[in-house]
Amino acid sequence: MNIPEQGPPPLPGVSSTTNPSQAPSPVPSTPKPPLPIQGMGMLIEALLRDPSRVVGDPAAKGRSRQALALLLIAALGAMIYGIVVGSFSGGDQYWAAPVKTGLGMLLTGLICLPSLYVFGALGGSKARVQDILLLVAGLAALVTILLLGFAPVAWVFSQSTQSVAAMGALHLLFWLTATLFGLRFLNHGFKQLQGSSNLGLKVWMLVYVVVGLQMTTALRPFVGVGATFLPVEKKFFLSHWADSLNGKPSIRP
Amino acid sequence: MGISLAVIVAGTAIYGAALGAWRSPAQGVFSALKLPLVLTLTALGNSLINGMAAPLLGVSISFKESLAAILASFAICATILASLAPLLLFLVVSSPSMDSAQRGAAHGLILIVNVGSLALAGIVGNVRLFQTILSLSGDRPPALRVWTAWLGMNLLLGSQFSWLLRPFVGSPGLPVEFLRADAFQGNFFEAVFRALVRLFS
Repeated sequence: MNIPEQGPPPLPGVSSTTNPSQAPSPVPSTPKPPLPIQGMGMLIEALLRDPSRVVGDPAAKGRSRQALALLLIAALGAMIYGIVVGSFSGGDQYWAAPVKTGLGMLLTGLICLPSLYVFGALGGSKARVQDILLLVAGLAALVTILLLGFAPVAWVFSQSTQSVAAMGALHLLFWLTATLFGLRFLNHGFKQLQGSSNLGLKVWMLVYVVVGLQMTTALRPFVGVGATFLPVEKKFFLSHWADSLNGKPSIRP
Repeated sequence: MGISLAVIVAGTAIYGAALGAWRSPAQGVFSALKLPLVLTLTALGNSLINGMAAPLLGVSISFKESLAAILASFAICATILASLAPLLLFLVVSSPSMDSAQRGAAHGLILIVNVGSLALAGIVGNVRLFQTILSLSGDRPPALRVWTAWLGMNLLLGSQFSWLLRPFVGSPGLPVEFLRADAFQGNFFEAVFRALVRLFS
Protein backbone atom coordinates (compact mmCIF):
# COMPACT_ATOMS: atom_id res chain seq x y z
CA MET A 1 0.00 0.00 0.00
CA ASN A 2 1.36 3.41 -0.91
CA ILE A 3 1.05 6.09 1.66
CA PRO A 4 1.62 9.58 0.32
CA GLU A 5 4.77 11.29 1.48
CA GLN A 6 3.34 14.78 1.58
CA GLY A 7 1.57 16.08 4.66
CA PRO A 8 -2.15 15.67 5.21
CA PRO A 9 -4.67 18.36 4.41
CA PRO A 10 -5.08 20.96 7.16
CA LEU A 11 -7.41 19.96 9.98
CA PRO A 12 -10.75 21.72 10.15
CA GLY A 13 -10.44 24.59 12.56
CA VAL A 14 -6.68 24.18 12.92
CA SER A 15 -4.40 26.91 11.74
CA SER A 16 -1.39 25.75 9.74
CA THR A 17 0.63 28.66 11.06
CA THR A 18 0.95 27.07 14.47
CA ASN A 19 4.50 26.13 13.58
CA PRO A 20 6.66 29.19 14.07
CA SER A 21 9.17 27.95 11.49
CA GLN A 22 6.46 28.02 8.81
CA ALA A 23 5.03 31.38 9.77
CA PRO A 24 5.97 34.32 7.56
CA SER A 25 8.52 36.64 9.09
CA PRO A 26 8.48 39.77 6.95
CA VAL A 27 10.36 42.14 9.25
CA PRO A 28 12.80 41.07 11.93
CA SER A 29 11.58 42.49 15.19
CA THR A 30 12.91 42.54 18.71
CA PRO A 31 11.33 39.79 20.84
CA LYS A 32 8.64 41.03 23.18
CA PRO A 33 9.12 40.26 26.87
CA PRO A 34 6.69 37.57 28.02
CA LEU A 35 3.55 38.72 29.79
CA PRO A 36 3.67 38.39 33.56
CA ILE A 37 1.95 35.29 34.90
CA GLN A 38 -1.39 36.27 36.42
CA GLY A 39 -3.78 33.73 37.84
CA MET A 40 -3.80 29.97 38.23
CA GLY A 41 -4.80 29.35 34.61
CA MET A 42 -1.79 31.21 33.22
CA LEU A 43 0.46 29.46 35.73
CA ILE A 44 -0.73 26.01 34.62
CA GLU A 45 -0.43 27.01 30.97
CA ALA A 46 3.12 28.28 31.56
CA LEU A 47 4.09 25.06 33.38
CA LEU A 48 3.03 23.03 30.36
CA ARG A 49 4.15 25.28 27.53
CA ASP A 50 6.96 27.49 28.75
CA PRO A 51 8.45 26.42 32.11
CA SER A 52 11.17 29.08 31.86
CA ARG A 53 8.46 31.69 32.48
CA VAL A 54 7.56 30.01 35.75
CA VAL A 55 11.12 30.06 37.01
CA GLY A 56 11.48 33.57 35.63
CA ASP A 57 13.90 36.16 36.84
CA PRO A 58 15.41 35.40 40.28
CA ALA A 59 15.30 39.12 41.06
CA ALA A 60 11.59 39.44 40.26
CA LYS A 61 9.08 40.17 43.01
CA GLY A 62 6.23 37.90 44.03
CA ARG A 63 8.15 34.63 43.72
CA SER A 64 7.06 33.40 47.13
CA ARG A 65 3.44 34.10 46.22
CA GLN A 66 3.92 32.19 42.97
CA ALA A 67 5.43 29.28 44.89
CA LEU A 68 2.43 29.23 47.22
CA ALA A 69 0.07 29.26 44.24
CA LEU A 70 1.94 26.29 42.78
CA LEU A 71 1.73 24.44 46.11
CA LEU A 72 -2.01 25.12 46.20
CA ILE A 73 -2.35 23.70 42.66
CA ALA A 74 -0.31 20.67 43.75
CA ALA A 75 -2.40 20.02 46.87
CA LEU A 76 -5.77 20.54 45.18
CA GLY A 77 -4.77 18.58 42.08
CA ALA A 78 -3.44 15.68 44.13
CA MET A 79 -6.65 15.58 46.16
CA ILE A 80 -8.80 15.52 43.02
CA TYR A 81 -6.70 12.68 41.64
CA GLY A 82 -7.06 11.04 45.06
CA ILE A 83 -10.83 10.91 44.57
CA VAL A 84 -10.21 8.84 41.44
CA VAL A 85 -7.83 6.62 43.40
CA GLY A 86 -10.44 6.21 46.16
CA SER A 87 -13.20 5.39 43.68
CA PHE A 88 -11.64 1.93 43.29
CA SER A 89 -12.81 0.87 46.76
CA GLY A 90 -15.38 3.56 47.49
CA GLY A 91 -16.71 4.11 51.03
CA ASP A 92 -14.19 5.72 53.37
CA GLN A 93 -11.56 5.74 50.65
CA TYR A 94 -13.45 8.57 48.94
CA TRP A 95 -12.08 10.90 51.64
CA ALA A 96 -9.06 8.91 52.88
CA ALA A 97 -7.34 8.57 49.49
CA PRO A 98 -7.59 12.31 48.58
CA VAL A 99 -6.22 13.29 52.00
CA LYS A 100 -3.33 10.85 51.56
CA THR A 101 -2.47 11.86 47.98
CA GLY A 102 -2.51 15.55 48.89
CA LEU A 103 -0.49 14.92 52.04
CA GLY A 104 1.91 12.57 50.25
CA MET A 105 2.60 15.07 47.47
CA LEU A 106 3.34 17.94 49.88
CA LEU A 107 5.31 15.80 52.36
CA THR A 108 7.54 14.40 49.61
CA GLY A 109 8.42 17.91 48.48
CA LEU A 110 8.88 19.17 52.03
CA ILE A 111 11.13 16.29 53.06
CA CYS A 112 13.32 16.70 49.98
CA LEU A 113 13.46 20.51 49.98
CA PRO A 114 16.41 20.96 52.39
CA SER A 115 18.54 18.38 50.59
CA LEU A 116 17.96 20.10 47.24
CA TYR A 117 19.12 23.39 48.72
CA VAL A 118 22.23 21.80 50.23
CA PHE A 119 23.06 19.70 47.14
CA GLY A 120 22.64 22.79 44.98
CA ALA A 121 24.81 24.93 47.26
CA LEU A 122 27.52 22.24 47.30
CA GLY A 123 27.46 22.30 43.50
CA GLY A 124 28.03 26.05 43.49
CA SER A 125 24.42 27.19 43.13
CA LYS A 126 23.50 30.73 44.15
CA ALA A 127 19.81 29.82 44.33
CA ARG A 128 18.05 31.12 47.44
CA VAL A 129 15.59 29.14 49.54
CA GLN A 130 12.61 30.81 47.83
CA ASP A 131 14.04 29.85 44.42
CA ILE A 132 14.35 26.23 45.56
CA LEU A 133 10.83 26.37 47.01
CA LEU A 134 9.54 27.67 43.66
CA LEU A 135 11.26 24.81 41.81
CA VAL A 136 9.94 22.11 44.14
CA ALA A 137 6.46 23.64 44.13
CA GLY A 138 6.57 23.75 40.32
CA LEU A 139 7.66 20.10 40.24
CA ALA A 140 4.78 19.06 42.51
CA ALA A 141 2.27 21.21 40.58
CA LEU A 142 3.32 19.81 37.19
CA VAL A 143 3.14 16.25 38.52
CA THR A 144 -0.43 16.76 39.77
CA ILE A 145 -1.54 18.55 36.60
CA LEU A 146 -0.35 15.57 34.58
CA LEU A 147 -2.00 13.18 37.03
CA LEU A 148 -5.25 15.06 36.43
CA GLY A 149 -4.70 14.46 32.72
CA PHE A 150 -4.38 10.74 33.45
CA ALA A 151 -7.40 10.81 35.79
CA PRO A 152 -10.10 9.87 33.21
CA VAL A 153 -8.03 6.85 32.13
CA ALA A 154 -7.37 5.85 35.75
CA TRP A 155 -11.08 6.16 36.52
CA VAL A 156 -12.06 3.85 33.65
CA PHE A 157 -9.64 1.19 34.93
CA SER A 158 -10.76 1.75 38.56
CA GLN A 159 -14.34 0.94 37.63
CA SER A 160 -13.50 -2.12 35.59
CA THR A 161 -10.89 -4.08 37.48
CA GLN A 162 -10.83 -5.83 40.84
CA SER A 163 -7.11 -6.35 41.22
CA VAL A 164 -5.45 -4.07 43.77
CA ALA A 165 -2.03 -4.97 42.33
CA ALA A 166 -3.05 -4.04 38.76
CA MET A 167 -4.60 -0.72 39.86
CA GLY A 168 -1.61 0.07 42.08
CA ALA A 169 0.75 -0.61 39.18
CA LEU A 170 -1.26 1.66 36.87
CA HIS A 171 -1.30 4.54 39.36
CA LEU A 172 2.42 4.04 39.89
CA LEU A 173 3.05 4.13 36.15
CA PHE A 174 1.10 7.39 35.86
CA TRP A 175 2.91 8.91 38.85
CA LEU A 176 6.33 7.92 37.51
CA THR A 177 5.53 9.34 34.06
CA ALA A 178 4.30 12.60 35.57
CA THR A 179 7.32 12.75 37.90
CA LEU A 180 9.66 12.32 34.94
CA PHE A 181 8.25 15.51 33.40
CA GLY A 182 8.25 17.24 36.79
CA LEU A 183 11.93 16.46 37.29
CA ARG A 184 12.69 17.68 33.78
CA PHE A 185 11.06 21.00 34.73
CA LEU A 186 13.18 21.14 37.88
CA ASN A 187 16.36 20.36 35.95
CA HIS A 188 15.65 23.11 33.40
CA GLY A 189 14.76 25.51 36.20
CA PHE A 190 18.00 24.77 37.99
CA LYS A 191 19.98 25.36 34.82
CA GLN A 192 18.10 28.61 34.32
CA LEU A 193 18.98 29.78 37.81
CA GLN A 194 22.62 28.78 37.92
CA GLY A 195 23.54 27.91 34.36
CA SER A 196 24.36 24.26 34.98
CA SER A 197 23.02 21.03 36.36
CA ASN A 198 25.34 18.98 38.53
CA LEU A 199 25.71 15.45 39.83
CA GLY A 200 24.22 16.49 43.16
CA LEU A 201 20.98 17.43 41.42
CA LYS A 202 20.82 14.06 39.67
CA VAL A 203 21.35 12.30 43.00
CA TRP A 204 18.61 14.45 44.53
CA MET A 205 16.21 13.46 41.73
CA LEU A 206 16.79 9.81 42.56
CA VAL A 207 16.22 10.57 46.25
CA TYR A 208 12.95 12.37 45.40
CA VAL A 209 11.66 9.36 43.44
CA VAL A 210 12.61 6.95 46.25
CA VAL A 211 10.92 9.16 48.86
CA GLY A 212 7.79 9.34 46.69
CA LEU A 213 7.76 5.56 46.30
CA GLN A 214 8.22 5.05 50.03
CA MET A 215 5.35 7.50 50.64
CA THR A 216 3.07 5.09 48.74
CA THR A 217 3.88 2.51 51.42
CA ALA A 218 4.10 4.79 54.46
CA LEU A 219 0.60 6.20 53.82
CA ARG A 220 -0.96 2.96 52.51
CA PRO A 221 -3.51 1.92 51.57
CA PHE A 222 -4.19 4.28 48.66
CA VAL A 223 -5.82 1.54 46.60
CA GLY A 224 -7.97 -0.98 48.49
CA VAL A 225 -8.93 -0.58 52.14
CA GLY A 226 -7.09 -1.06 55.43
CA ALA A 227 -8.15 -1.64 59.02
CA THR A 228 -6.74 1.74 60.03
CA PHE A 229 -6.26 5.08 58.30
CA LEU A 230 -2.47 4.66 58.44
CA PRO A 231 -0.61 1.34 58.50
CA VAL A 232 0.46 -0.18 61.81
CA GLU A 233 3.27 -2.26 60.30
CA LYS A 234 6.33 -0.44 58.93
CA LYS A 235 7.66 -1.66 55.61
CA PHE A 236 10.00 -0.72 52.82
CA PHE A 237 8.13 -0.13 49.57
CA LEU A 238 9.73 -3.05 47.71
CA SER A 239 8.67 -5.41 50.47
CA HIS A 240 5.12 -4.01 50.40
CA TRP A 241 4.87 -4.46 46.63
CA ALA A 242 6.20 -8.01 46.89
CA ASP A 243 3.55 -8.77 49.54
CA SER A 244 0.85 -7.27 47.32
CA LEU A 245 1.90 -9.41 44.38
CA ASN A 246 2.43 -12.65 46.33
CA GLY A 247 0.07 -14.25 48.71
CA LYS A 248 -1.66 -11.28 50.29
CA PRO A 249 -5.25 -10.64 49.20
CA SER A 250 -5.28 -8.44 46.13
CA ILE A 251 -8.96 -8.25 45.41
CA ARG A 252 -11.11 -5.18 45.93
CA PRO A 253 -13.18 -5.62 49.09
CA MET B 1 -14.16 18.17 14.80
CA GLY B 2 -17.88 17.68 14.29
CA ILE B 3 -17.29 16.23 10.82
CA SER B 4 -14.63 13.87 12.16
CA LEU B 5 -16.97 12.69 14.91
CA ALA B 6 -19.77 12.10 12.42
CA VAL B 7 -17.44 10.09 10.15
CA ILE B 8 -16.20 8.04 13.13
CA VAL B 9 -19.72 7.21 14.28
CA ALA B 10 -21.05 6.40 10.79
CA GLY B 11 -17.99 4.48 9.58
CA THR B 12 -17.52 2.30 12.64
CA ALA B 13 -21.27 1.70 12.98
CA ILE B 14 -21.39 0.31 9.42
CA TYR B 15 -18.36 -1.89 10.06
CA GLY B 16 -19.69 -2.98 13.48
CA ALA B 17 -23.02 -3.99 11.95
CA ALA B 18 -21.25 -6.21 9.41
CA LEU B 19 -18.98 -7.64 12.09
CA GLY B 20 -21.76 -8.69 14.44
CA ALA B 21 -24.14 -9.85 11.73
CA TRP B 22 -22.64 -13.33 11.58
CA ARG B 23 -23.62 -14.17 15.19
CA SER B 24 -27.13 -12.69 14.94
CA PRO B 25 -28.91 -9.51 13.75
CA ALA B 26 -29.12 -8.35 17.38
CA GLN B 27 -25.34 -8.70 17.74
CA GLY B 28 -24.97 -6.64 14.56
CA VAL B 29 -27.03 -3.84 16.13
CA PHE B 30 -25.08 -4.05 19.40
CA SER B 31 -21.72 -3.92 17.62
CA ALA B 32 -22.91 -1.00 15.47
CA LEU B 33 -23.63 0.89 18.69
CA LYS B 34 -20.53 -0.15 20.60
CA LEU B 35 -17.73 0.22 18.06
CA PRO B 36 -18.27 4.01 17.65
CA LEU B 37 -18.24 4.25 21.45
CA VAL B 38 -14.80 2.63 21.64
CA LEU B 39 -13.23 5.24 19.37
CA THR B 40 -15.03 8.32 20.65
CA LEU B 41 -14.58 7.44 24.33
CA THR B 42 -10.88 6.71 23.73
CA ALA B 43 -10.35 10.08 22.03
CA LEU B 44 -12.29 11.98 24.69
CA GLY B 45 -10.87 10.06 27.66
CA ASN B 46 -7.32 10.74 26.51
CA SER B 47 -7.91 14.32 25.36
CA LEU B 48 -6.64 15.89 28.59
CA ILE B 49 -3.38 13.96 28.86
CA ASN B 50 -2.78 14.04 25.09
CA GLY B 51 -3.31 17.80 25.08
CA MET B 52 -0.85 18.17 27.97
CA ALA B 53 1.70 15.79 26.45
CA ALA B 54 2.05 17.72 23.16
CA PRO B 55 3.54 20.98 24.53
CA LEU B 56 5.56 19.09 27.14
CA LEU B 57 7.15 16.97 24.41
CA GLY B 58 7.94 19.94 22.19
CA VAL B 59 4.91 20.47 19.92
CA SER B 60 3.20 23.67 20.94
CA ILE B 61 -0.40 23.04 19.94
CA SER B 62 -3.63 23.71 21.80
CA PHE B 63 -5.94 21.14 23.38
CA LYS B 64 -8.40 21.77 20.56
CA GLU B 65 -5.77 21.12 17.92
CA SER B 66 -4.57 17.91 19.57
CA LEU B 67 -8.12 16.59 19.87
CA ALA B 68 -8.88 17.60 16.27
CA ALA B 69 -5.75 15.77 15.06
CA ILE B 70 -6.65 12.58 16.91
CA LEU B 71 -10.29 12.67 15.84
CA ALA B 72 -9.20 13.21 12.23
CA SER B 73 -6.94 10.14 12.40
CA PHE B 74 -9.75 8.10 13.94
CA ALA B 75 -12.05 9.33 11.15
CA ILE B 76 -9.55 7.98 8.61
CA CYS B 77 -9.59 4.62 10.43
CA ALA B 78 -13.40 4.66 10.40
CA THR B 79 -13.49 5.47 6.69
CA ILE B 80 -11.20 2.54 5.91
CA LEU B 81 -13.28 0.23 8.12
CA ALA B 82 -16.48 1.38 6.39
CA SER B 83 -14.91 0.68 3.01
CA LEU B 84 -14.05 -2.85 4.18
CA ALA B 85 -17.56 -3.48 5.55
CA PRO B 86 -18.98 -4.82 2.24
CA LEU B 87 -16.09 -7.30 2.00
CA LEU B 88 -16.65 -8.37 5.60
CA LEU B 89 -20.38 -8.70 5.00
CA PHE B 90 -19.68 -10.89 1.96
CA LEU B 91 -17.47 -13.08 4.14
CA VAL B 92 -20.19 -13.25 6.83
CA VAL B 93 -22.86 -14.22 4.31
CA SER B 94 -20.72 -16.87 2.64
CA SER B 95 -19.30 -18.39 5.86
CA PRO B 96 -20.85 -21.42 7.59
CA SER B 97 -23.73 -20.12 9.70
CA MET B 98 -24.36 -20.47 13.43
CA ASP B 99 -26.36 -23.67 12.77
CA SER B 100 -23.44 -25.32 11.01
CA ALA B 101 -21.04 -27.77 12.66
CA GLN B 102 -18.22 -25.62 11.27
CA ARG B 103 -19.33 -22.48 13.10
CA GLY B 104 -16.15 -22.52 15.21
CA ALA B 105 -13.96 -22.24 12.12
CA ALA B 106 -16.18 -19.49 10.70
CA HIS B 107 -15.96 -17.54 13.97
CA GLY B 108 -12.17 -17.89 13.94
CA LEU B 109 -11.92 -16.69 10.34
CA ILE B 110 -14.07 -13.63 11.03
CA LEU B 111 -11.91 -12.81 14.05
CA ILE B 112 -8.74 -13.02 11.96
CA VAL B 113 -10.21 -10.86 9.18
CA ASN B 114 -11.36 -8.37 11.82
CA VAL B 115 -7.88 -8.17 13.35
CA GLY B 116 -6.39 -7.64 9.87
CA SER B 117 -8.92 -4.90 9.04
CA LEU B 118 -8.36 -3.09 12.32
CA ALA B 119 -4.58 -3.35 11.90
CA LEU B 120 -4.74 -1.90 8.38
CA ALA B 121 -7.03 0.95 9.46
CA GLY B 122 -4.91 1.61 12.55
CA ILE B 123 -1.63 1.74 10.64
CA VAL B 124 -2.95 4.13 7.97
CA GLY B 125 -4.68 6.31 10.58
CA ASN B 126 -1.52 6.55 12.64
CA VAL B 127 0.69 7.32 9.64
CA ARG B 128 -1.65 10.21 8.84
CA LEU B 129 -1.66 11.26 12.48
CA PHE B 130 2.13 11.45 12.45
CA GLN B 131 2.05 13.52 9.25
CA THR B 132 -0.46 15.87 10.87
CA ILE B 133 1.69 16.33 13.98
CA LEU B 134 4.74 16.84 11.78
CA SER B 135 2.96 19.52 9.76
CA LEU B 136 1.97 21.28 12.99
CA SER B 137 5.41 21.07 14.60
CA GLY B 138 7.71 21.29 11.58
CA ASP B 139 10.35 19.26 13.41
CA ARG B 140 10.57 15.47 13.24
CA PRO B 141 11.96 14.45 16.70
CA PRO B 142 9.30 16.25 18.79
CA ALA B 143 6.60 15.10 16.36
CA LEU B 144 7.77 11.51 16.82
CA ARG B 145 7.78 11.89 20.62
CA VAL B 146 4.24 13.26 20.68
CA TRP B 147 2.99 10.62 18.24
CA THR B 148 4.53 7.84 20.35
CA ALA B 149 2.97 9.21 23.54
CA TRP B 150 -0.46 9.58 21.90
CA LEU B 151 -0.22 6.11 20.39
CA GLY B 152 0.67 4.61 23.77
CA MET B 153 -2.21 6.32 25.56
CA ASN B 154 -4.70 5.48 22.80
CA LEU B 155 -3.63 1.83 22.87
CA LEU B 156 -3.91 1.71 26.67
CA LEU B 157 -7.40 3.17 26.89
CA GLY B 158 -8.64 1.80 23.56
CA SER B 159 -7.73 -1.75 24.60
CA GLN B 160 -9.61 -1.33 27.85
CA PHE B 161 -12.74 0.10 26.20
CA SER B 162 -12.75 -2.68 23.63
CA TRP B 163 -12.46 -5.16 26.53
CA LEU B 164 -15.27 -3.54 28.53
CA LEU B 165 -17.62 -3.26 25.58
CA ARG B 166 -17.03 -6.79 24.25
CA PRO B 167 -18.40 -8.85 22.46
CA PHE B 168 -18.22 -7.42 18.94
CA VAL B 169 -18.22 -10.64 16.92
CA GLY B 170 -19.94 -12.87 19.47
CA SER B 171 -18.69 -16.34 20.43
CA PRO B 172 -20.90 -19.20 19.15
CA GLY B 173 -20.98 -20.77 22.63
CA LEU B 174 -22.04 -17.65 24.50
CA PRO B 175 -25.37 -15.82 24.49
CA VAL B 176 -25.95 -12.66 22.47
CA GLU B 177 -25.80 -9.73 24.89
CA PHE B 178 -24.91 -6.05 24.85
CA LEU B 179 -22.21 -6.44 27.50
CA ARG B 180 -20.81 -9.57 29.08
CA ALA B 181 -21.95 -10.17 32.65
CA ASP B 182 -18.33 -9.87 33.87
CA ALA B 183 -17.57 -6.79 31.77
CA PHE B 184 -16.52 -4.69 34.79
CA GLN B 185 -14.60 -7.44 36.60
CA GLY B 186 -11.21 -7.31 35.03
CA ASN B 187 -9.13 -5.52 32.47
CA PHE B 188 -7.64 -6.24 29.08
CA PHE B 189 -4.08 -6.51 30.36
CA GLU B 190 -4.97 -8.91 33.17
CA ALA B 191 -6.72 -11.10 30.59
CA VAL B 192 -3.64 -11.07 28.35
CA PHE B 193 -1.42 -11.85 31.35
CA ARG B 194 -3.64 -14.77 32.41
CA ALA B 195 -3.68 -16.10 28.84
CA LEU B 196 0.14 -15.98 28.72
CA VAL B 197 0.39 -17.75 32.08
CA ARG B 198 -1.95 -20.49 30.83
CA LEU B 199 0.10 -20.79 27.64
CA PHE B 200 3.42 -21.30 29.43
CA SER B 201 2.26 -23.32 32.45
